[in-house]
Amino acid sequence: MKRILEWPGHAWLALPARLYLGYVFIWACLHKIAAPATFALDVATYQLLPLSLINITALVLPWVELLAGVMIVLGFRTRAAALLISGMMLVFMVALGWALHQGLDMSCGCFASQSSDEHAISWLTMLRDAGWLALALYVLGFDRRPLGLDRLWPRGRATAA
Amino acid sequence: MIYGGNMPPRWTTVFRDAAIVVALSAAVALTTNKLRSSGIPLVAAQEYEVLVPCPEHEGKPAKPLTPGDVNPKEKGLLLVDAREAETYRAWHAPGAISIPYDYLEPKPEEKRVLRSRARRVIVYGDGENPDSGEQLANAISGKGVKNVHFVRGGAPALRRALGGGR
Repeated sequence: MKRILEWPGHAWLALPARLYLGYVFIWACLHKIAAPATFALDVATYQLLPLSLINITALVLPWVELLAGVMIVLGFRTRAAALLISGMMLVFMVALGWALHQGLDMSCGCFASQSSDEHAISWLTMLRDAGWLALALYVLGFDRRPLGLDRLWPRGRATAA
Repeated sequence: MIYGGNMPPRWTTVFRDAAIVVALSAAVALTTNKLRSSGIPLVAAQEYEVLVPCPEHEGKPAKPLTPGDVNPKEKGLLLVDAREAETYRAWHAPGAISIPYDYLEPKPEEKRVLRSRARRVIVYGDGENPDSGEQLANAISGKGVKNVHFVRGGAPALRRALGGGR
């Protein structure tokens, strides 16, 4: 296992995954930041959160998406960004699974201008999210020396073993 | 052995960095919301009016078909016309039976379909939005009948595909 983890090729394999995830998350957050009221309605549509948490979630989540997206693209604190993206994907998948279980006819609210007529949630949406989660977990687990700022300016940690 | 800065960060460091990002995001989000004119209250004053239609049927939804994929002479096929009886009489696909779909008074449509012992069921409706054919197909499929399809575009599209024959 240690040999697999230390394989230097992971950094190159993970790079396109990181760029793709970064693109997805940066693109996904833009309309949410621009129109928080609309996104709050999207969050409410899932009927999962109590009223007191809907607006605060709609305000903060897009900024987490933005920062995590920028960080994973730049390779800055890459594993923390991958951890955040994995966590968000898990939360999204739980919400999506719940909505699908309830039979809600709605858009996932992931991207801008999505109507439930054209972009209704389905198990394919869940599969897509699972793919993104797998990419994020790969970066988190295997991209230990990511290409980018983390490699240019590594942390000065010295550990005795 | 001493490891230098090229070692991957510990998990505690990864979690700490992630927590810092969340805190930073919250600070930026709340500040931005405070400053912008289109900001929203941190806690909504009243419940959101969420209009999400409830599921109408429990089973799997029927699968769509393009009109060109419909062959009325297919063996074991049951063609169902979901439109009003009057429009069915004006034109219907060869061999189609009439089961008018009424959203307000749904009938046990699946019984008639099951009695036919068809291997495949294709339903077409008015082709409007919502399409009565799709609704009836979903209603039948939702009762556990397998291999149920509906025709995209409904009767107008099917009529064009079949050459307008009765």
